[in-house]
Amino acid sequence: MEAELNCAHCHQETLHELVYAGRLLVSTTCSLCNTRVEHETNDLWDIYLKDLPHRIATKPIRMWRSFRRSPSKSFWALPRATFGKPFKMFKEYRNLKKKSE
Amino acid sequence: MKSGIKAALVVLAAGSATRFGHSTNKVWLPLSGRRIISRSLINAAKNFKQARIILVINPDDEVIALETIKREMAGLKIEIVYGGATRHESEHNALEYLAPAINSGEVEVVLIHDGARPLATPALFVEIADAAHLHGGAIPTIAVSPREMDMARNDTVVRVQTPQGFIASQLLQAYTKAATDGFIGTDTAACMEKYFPEVKTVAITADASNVKITYPQDLAIAEHVLAKRGYKD
Repeated sequence: MEAELNCAHCHQETLHELVYAGRLLVSTTCSLCNTRVEHETNDLWDIYLKDLPHRIATKPIRMWRSFRRSPSKSFWALPRATFGKPFKMFKEYRNLKKKSE
Repeated sequence: MKSGIKAALVVLAAGSATRFGHSTNKVWLPLSGRRIISRSLINAAKNFKQARIILVINPDDEVIALETIKREMAGLKIEIVYGGATRHESEHNALEYLAPAINSGEVEVVLIHDGARPLATPALFVEIADAAHLHGGAIPTIAVSPREMDMARNDTVVRVQTPQGFIASQLLQAYTKAATDGFIGTDTAACMEKYFPEVKTVAITADASNVKITYPQDLAIAEHVLAKRGYKD
């Protein structure tokens, strides 16, 4: 994901690349000077693990809202979303692991 | 308790930033599972019974705006207005759009909020609307630390945030006059100060957590604040 943000290092509004794990921001990188801003590693794992039960607990209501909004689109997207979930979780784990290395 | 003030809530998100056909405006970034702009709009509207909600966008962002409204703000009736080249112009466009409602008395107070401030609480919006309704204008402020500014008058200098609220008819007149004069204010209060210096604009003590997402670090701070609040407001 990309967005225009001010870089504290090169003092310019530049395009930044953002990496997320679930709904948590892992890192941002300035496209101009390559300055990388990251969460504290332990802190991020801690927050991620605390956040995970909240995500799981709110999933049914989020799915219900999605079905109510557009039933057919949600129905057809369900198999792909279900089978893709383990890969998505793995990607999140990989992003966090890469960050902690 | 919800406020009964006839308010219009204008949320600015017209920053221009596109690349390869997709928007890179920070207001569309996710923040703890919901886009920044969604949090700003939901918090703005939460404690009002009968507010008009205006989202000012860059015309290039219309598709993403409509998708986001549908997915994350289905319960809100949001009207979209195209912004201009500057913040001042975007505010003017929103006020011109609201002009019939302002002139008919359907809207008494206008609150203008920066879409990149997703942590302004619903209570702050009501406080600003109430104060603006009573005094003519209201702005949220936080004290400047003497460590930040070495000066004798640090008790009279404050850091100003949004939402900024004013009596709708006066605000519309101020922006109409500014357009005629070619005046461009740095924020809503600056324009009011120029054309209605007699209007009393009160400073409402706000919270430092009402950050404007500007630097990458601000996103991390906002995530922490939201986690502390239990992802509410």
